[in-house]
Amino acid sequence: MHEFSTAQGIVETAIHYAKKNKAKKVKKVFLEIGELTFLNVEQLKFSYDILSKDTILDNSELVVEVKSATYKCMKCGASGKLGKIENEDHFSIPVFHCPKCGGEIEILSGRQCFIKNMEIEV
Amino acid sequence: MFFHIIGVEADIFKANKELAERNRMLFKKHNVKTIDVMGAIGSGKTALIETMSHLLKKRGIRVGAITGDVAGDDDAKRLESIGVPVENINTGKECHLDAHLIHHAIEHFDLDAIDVLFIENVGNLVCPADFQLGTDIRCVVVSVTEGDDMVRKHPVIFGTSDVAVVNKIDLADAMGVDLKRIEEDFRKIKPNGILIETSVKTGEGIEKLMDAMGL
Ligand SMILES: Nc1nc2c(ncn2[C@@H]2O[C@H](COP(=O)(O)OP(=O)(O)O)[C@@H](O)[C@H]2O)c(=O)[nH]1
Ligand SMILES: [Mg+2]
Ligand SMILES: [Zn+2]
Repeated sequence: MHEFSTAQGIVETAIHYAKKNKAKKVKKVFLEIGELTFLNVEQLKFSYDILSKDTILDNSELVVEVKSATYKCMKCGASGKLGKIENEDHFSIPVFHCPKCGGEIEILSGRQCFIKNMEIEV
Repeated sequence: MFFHIIGVEADIFKANKELAERNRMLFKKHNVKTIDVMGAIGSGKTALIETMSHLLKKRGIRVGAITGDVAGDDDAKRLESIGVPVENINTGKECHLDAHLIHHAIEHFDLDAIDVLFIENVGNLVCPADFQLGTDIRCVVVSVTEGDDMVRKHPVIFGTSDVAVVNKIDLADAMGVDLKRIEEDFRKIKPNGILIETSVKTGEGIEKLMDAMGL
């Protein structure tokens, strides 16, 4: 439900970088979000479109990539993508223990939300 | 027309993360143990904080609280009435507390006068999880009145919290809720995690919860 305020942050940041790079127009903004955030991609895009009206971002596209979370096992040292299981409703849900040894894990990534790059016209 | 790609690498949550880190340092400096209590409206967050505050006060531990709510100060008044110093935050439209709001709320606190600070987050099981406040412990509270599929529906918040609480177990039978089921769901996603069943009404599990939080 905080997609709107997050989109505000995205728009402000993108405008800042567009100006800094003397863009005439912005075509695409590439965003990466971690799978452990609670951001709904459709709502994020919807908010982005509203907020970018009448700015240099007008008519640009927010391209969102959702990245898997990563972990490191505190017991056996294994690392990689967080394990997944299917719940009863056949949704794939993350598990928070080491898929190798069952040990406790540290979450290395999965909560990020950042603009990776932008496609601009100069 | 020339289009080209520029590298940006700009973290949208950066400001919140940095402020959370500052809060964390401040709490540490003043030796205050802090707990972010998250969970849906009515799950019993305020009730749990009240009960734990009572018990802590009896042991001579000084407790403070920050209460977050979209509007009003009912929770703040409840805690104040039992002698807990409280700072109330109204978030208005926002669905969560953030590190910035906490940063300002603690300006009004004498952190040297308290040992434990409870932060009751806005009643919402989802959004607060995206915003670290800088607390030592993140605790998520659900109650049996919300049904027995809460863990299945919200695996991430259970997976990423330090302590999970299933409250109102005194109502489990009446609600036809199978506590084992909840526990099983939880163990599937987090076999080593901490899940505590509590009842503010009977007092069951409260001491256990405090132990789990290191209180
Ligand atoms: N039966 C029962 N009622 C409870 C329990 N914990 C809280 N309540 C009641 O549930 C309602 C909501 O509790 P409250 O602490 O205000 O929830 P919050 O919105 O999460 O802060 C209140 O009427 C409480 O008295 C419990 O363990 N058992
Ligand atoms: Mg409350
Ligand atoms: Zn392992």
